[in-house]
Amino acid sequence: MKTLHNSPRDHATILLVESDASECEKFTQIALNENWFLIVCQDGIEAIQWLNDNSTADLFIIEENSSPISGYQIADYIKNELGLALPVIITTGEIPVVQERRVLAYAEGIIKKPFVAASTILQIRETLEKSIEIAPEKNDYYSLNYLNDLSGGDEEFIMELLKVFSASVNSELKNLNEGLTQKDYLRIREIAHGIKPSFDMIENEKGKGICRLLDSAVDERDVPKLIEELNLEFANINKQLINDFPELNLK
Amino acid sequence: MMKKILVIEDNPMVIKSLEFKLTKDGNNVMVAHDGREAMKLLKENEFDLILTDLMLPFVTGNELISYIKKNTPNTPIIVLSTSTQENIIMDAFNMGVDDFITKPFSPNELSLRVKRLLNKN
Repeated sequence: MKTLHNSPRDHATILLVESDASECEKFTQIALNENWFLIVCQDGIEAIQWLNDNSTADLFIIEENSSPISGYQIADYIKNELGLALPVIITTGEIPVVQERRVLAYAEGIIKKPFVAASTILQIRETLEKSIEIAPEKNDYYSLNYLNDLSGGDEEFIMELLKVFSASVNSELKNLNEGLTQKDYLRIREIAHGIKPSFDMIENEKGKGICRLLDSAVDERDVPKLIEELNLEFANINKQLINDFPELNLK
Repeated sequence: MMKKILVIEDNPMVIKSLEFKLTKDGNNVMVAHDGREAMKLLKENEFDLILTDLMLPFVTGNELISYIKKNTPNTPIIVLSTSTQENIIMDAFNMGVDDFITKPFSPNELSLRVKRLLNKN
C-alpha cells in the first residue's frame, strides 16, 4: 500500500525512543529536514503506551539501553506481542560484531550514536525501502484496484474515498445496530442495501456478501449474527487502513 | 458548453466517485442526497441528464421518476442500480428511463453511457 507514495521517504512516520535530550534534538532536526513525521518517547513504557493508544508508525528507532525496558524488549514486544511486521532500528553507542549480531536478531538495522545526519538518513532510507519491498501488495481486507482504476491513480482522491468509507460505513453500522435493537428489519435491509457498494468499491467480498444477505429475504433469526460479522469485518478493514495510512487519522 | 448533470444518490462513496468522474469528463455536477432534495433542485434548475438511485430516503424511485417525467419529460434518466434489483429496473424502464448503470460503476462505461445520452439530446 505504501507504493502510493512517490518515495518511501516521503512523510514516513517514525517513533523514536531516546532518553538523551541532545540526541533527541539532533534527530528531530534530521527528521524535520527529511519531512518525516516524528513521535518522540523518552522511554520504553511511553513508547508502548503510545503504541497501545494510537495507530502504528512506519519505523521504530529505539535506543539499546532504554529504561526500564531495553530496546530489545521493546522490539520483541512490537513484533511478537503487538504482531506488527514493521521495521525496527536499534541505536547504540558501540557496534562490536557480537553486539551487531544480537541487535540484528531483534531489529532490521543499527544506527550508531551520536547521530550523524548522513549515516542516520542513509540507514533509515535503506530500512524503509526494504520494508516497502517486502510489504504485501494486497491484504485480506481491502484493495485499491477499483479506486485506482476509477481515478487514474489520483492519490488525493483515493485517500479522500478511504476517509469517506471509514466515516460513512461506521455511521451506518451504528444505525444498523440500532435497527437490530428495535427489530426494525426493513430499516436493516435498507441500510445494508445502501452500504453494499461501499464494501464493493474497496473489493471486500465478505462485507459485500453479508450486506447482500441482509438485503435479501434472510431469516430474521440469522440477522444478529450477520450484523455481528459485518461489524467485525468493518473493524478489521478499518484497523488495516489505520495501519496502512496513519496520515488519514482514521478513528 | 458544460452539460449540467444531477446525481441523486445517498451513498457518500458513490456520490464522490460519480462527482469525480463526471467532473473530470467536463460536466457540471449537482448532487441531491434524497428524493426531496432532488425535487427541490429540479424545480430550481434545468438539467441535461439525471443519474438516480431507486432506493432513496423520503421519496420512492417510482415517485421520483414520475415526477421527473411529468416536469422535464425530455431530460434523459440513467438509473443507478445494484444487480439484485432486476424487477425494479424493469419497472423503471417501463416508466421511461433511458438507461441503467450497475453500482459500483465501471468508469469507462459510465463515460460512454453519459456521453451517448448527452449527444442524443
